[in-house]
Amino acid sequence: MNTSDSNVLTRYQAYRTRRFIENDAKTRHWLPKWRTQRRRRMLAIAVAATLIILLIISICSLFLEWVPIAWFPATALFLVLWTMLQTVSGRHSDAPTGALDEWEVQQRNEARSIGLTITQGTVLAAIVPLIFLSTTIDNENLAYAGASWTLTALLAGICSPAMILAWITPDPDPEDL
Amino acid sequence: MSPVKRGNTLPIYNRVGVLRAERKMSRAQLAELIEVNPQTVGALERGDHYPSLDLAMRICDVFDLPVEAVFSRQELGPLSAELFRREKNA
Repeated sequence: MNTSDSNVLTRYQAYRTRRFIENDAKTRHWLPKWRTQRRRRMLAIAVAATLIILLIISICSLFLEWVPIAWFPATALFLVLWTMLQTVSGRHSDAPTGALDEWEVQQRNEARSIGLTITQGTVLAAIVPLIFLSTTIDNENLAYAGASWTLTALLAGICSPAMILAWITPDPDPEDL
Repeated sequence: MSPVKRGNTLPIYNRVGVLRAERKMSRAQLAELIEVNPQTVGALERGDHYPSLDLAMRICDVFDLPVEAVFSRQELGPLSAELFRREKNA
């Protein structure tokens, strides 16, 4: 990487950090009652539950043609819960390094490392049956269903760092407030 | 706790909580001075996080003390006892 590329990267990171801090200033007081560890854990479980629902819908869409319609309410529910979880956990899972201190960076990196492992595992688990089924069954819904469950697997990996951070981050000490 | 890539994890004890209380400083005030989140100060005081050299030196600057007065490999006793310990055999 030459100096010019390095400068572009540094400027982009500075821009990301600035945007993140601006956005954080707007949202840090949203949903105050949902910022306790107990509520954050409830949201993490709810997000995991919607991912399981999306997986079930995608598998069922292999056999029933009307089932894909259920994607819309399930996706809407997922987006609401995911946005809430990200808001109450301060979006630390995808925050730029410059917006976090060293302990937060360390926790984020550990959560992302686990998230990468989950992504690899779930996407692999989604693709292997797809390859197997494409050679053994003749189902016109297979492409749609396979794409849906691969997307669900990818979403599980994408969401996992935020879910881990929401789960492990303790309630702030009264002295910290 | 900071990851240690090789070898045994050696403990790092600190007096941050005591020094902060001595100066009647809240976690939020110290956090602002060393530019971290107040929860990170809590993690340091509990020993859940070992600070980087940069953060350790920033903490020492706030208290105006050398690193060895704030951080140690050995468990730290009360500062007053270390300063004013009576020599029993004297």
